[in-house]
Amino acid sequence: MGVRLHNVSKEFGAFEVIRDVSMDIPPGSFAVFVGPSGCGKSTLLRMIAGLEETTSGTIEIAGRDVTQVEPAERGVAMVFQSYALYPHLNVFDNMAFSLSLARTPKARTREIVHEAARILKLEEQLDKKPSQLSGGQRQRVAIGRAIVRKPEVFLFDEPLSNLDAELRVQMRLELTRLHRQIGATMIYVTHDQVEAMTLADKIFVLKDGIVQQAGAPLELYDNPDNRFVAGFIGSPSMNFLPAEVVSVEGGSVAARTLGEVAHTWRVALTQSRLSPGERISIGIRPEHLKLSDDGMPVRVEVAEELGDVSYLYSRIADGTEIIVERHGSRDRLDGKNVGVTADPANVLAFDEKGQRLR
Amino acid sequence: MTMRRVENGIVTGFTVIAALCWIFPLYWALVTSLRSEENVTANPGLLLDEFNFSSYMSAVFDTKLMIWYFNSIGTAVIVTAVVVLISMMCAYALSQIQFPGRRLLYFVVLGSFMIPAQALVVTQFILMSDLGLINTWAGIILPQLIVPVTIIVYKQFFDAVPKEMREAAVLDGGGEYTILFRVYLPLNWGITTALAIVTFIGVWNAFFWPFLVITSEDMMTIPVGITQVNDAFGVAYARIMSVAMLAAMPVVLAYLIFQRRVTEAVMISSGIKG
Repeated sequence: MGVRLHNVSKEFGAFEVIRDVSMDIPPGSFAVFVGPSGCGKSTLLRMIAGLEETTSGTIEIAGRDVTQVEPAERGVAMVFQSYALYPHLNVFDNMAFSLSLARTPKARTREIVHEAARILKLEEQLDKKPSQLSGGQRQRVAIGRAIVRKPEVFLFDEPLSNLDAELRVQMRLELTRLHRQIGATMIYVTHDQVEAMTLADKIFVLKDGIVQQAGAPLELYDNPDNRFVAGFIGSPSMNFLPAEVVSVEGGSVAARTLGEVAHTWRVALTQSRLSPGERISIGIRPEHLKLSDDGMPVRVEVAEELGDVSYLYSRIADGTEIIVERHGSRDRLDGKNVGVTADPANVLAFDEKGQRLR
Repeated sequence: MTMRRVENGIVTGFTVIAALCWIFPLYWALVTSLRSEENVTANPGLLLDEFNFSSYMSAVFDTKLMIWYFNSIGTAVIVTAVVVLISMMCAYALSQIQFPGRRLLYFVVLGSFMIPAQALVVTQFILMSDLGLINTWAGIILPQLIVPVTIIVYKQFFDAVPKEMREAAVLDGGGEYTILFRVYLPLNWGITTALAIVTFIGVWNAFFWPFLVITSEDMMTIPVGITQVNDAFGVAYARIMSVAMLAAMPVVLAYLIFQRRVTEAVMISSGIKG
């Protein structure tokens, strides 16, 4: 058993931060909570850690109800965004802190800390104070402090946010390797969907304290349940256009964009029953848009040419921004008018409440 | 530029005059203590015309200076240790532990900070008398253990420690005492040293309360003992000044060694620096 949450809620006074959340995180998996600031992802992690009380519902770790159990007895270890290393202790003592509180014999403590230091390549740093280490090394010490406790579950609260972009990529890889090496259940909180996509076995997308969708990274990317998930997962994010259904023919719906540019898009829908005149939103990922002379006319404002990939930041006549991703192109399109189109299978549709139409 | 120079000159001039006014009594006391009693009486003056340590010898051997030293050191060390310990624990609870009445308790601490010690002297004296603690170390020590400003300063520093430090220790299985003594105290050694020194100097120099609560010469602290030198030997200027010099010595030494920390503590407790 990994971690299981049953109808968990958290209120701060009259404000409900977490609303009736249930989830099942299998043992040994790498789960990521992702969402915008204030969505409740860190609160949920802190509730699992026991640092926040649970207003209602139950939390189970390894099949044991830990809702009312003290944090230290839940079998979890946490890595904080700020590392939370004790500046007065050297790396060895920082990593050995929990063991010394548990009165572990000194020889055993040395053995466990050296083993963790070996895994994290910190053997040379054991005598140094945290202030003498780089950001990446500090983060590794924080992870080492968690490893030595041999917890059932590792909790990471935005651990890479304080690192620069290059180091973040490196640490992301190291975390993936570490997860494969020790095989423990890991729960990771981030607002960065790239981190979520690259690290997770299973992503939980949160908004306003509610899990919007849970699933494997590509499942969420390819098959979002609602407009929020569709917009949040993927970078650059999905383009959305308000539209009106004009015709329904079997599994194909024709929808015309509202406003000045009344371009008709074809959407492949097999389950939803729509009728002409209904308002919907259509969503197309930047990489699914292709340039075509008979496509929807847009004006390219800025073209970011990155070599392998280019992003065309464009606008349609009413000002709505449309981002197009192209690969291997070498033509400069800044300031030019072009037409964009997409395969009906890659055009997603959402109802007025933002729910996916399939 | 010239105007600025003139301004600087005036400020420097005033500072020098103020410093001279402040240092003059100390200089006079030092000069007097180093001259013989007869010389001081016959030729009162400001110049050091001899090096005579007879008044120091007399202060050490003819008075109870060593006993007063012992009493001063004993009471000052005990008060300092207890004040720092209980203030730290109180401040930690007020800063880090959620419990009903926490804010009220903090306001009580703040309130007691606003009541001058002199306003409580009569009640404290009656209380000490009722408890039979007149002429005892406990009588000197107990009323001096209430130092709300130390609690307030500690709380300010504990509030500034990132909450993740505490949470990491909680997850590691640390109880409140472990977290206080193994995390918060080491993180705040600087302010602890500073507060301890300021408290020690304050207690060492305390005159008003010990003067009231102690009448026996054997229980006196140094500041109170100095008054006895006067009474017992008539007006013996050189000897009085020698005792005063010896009394001030530990404080001066402590100040010179820990000058930076003392200044820091005074600035923090007076609200100049947070």
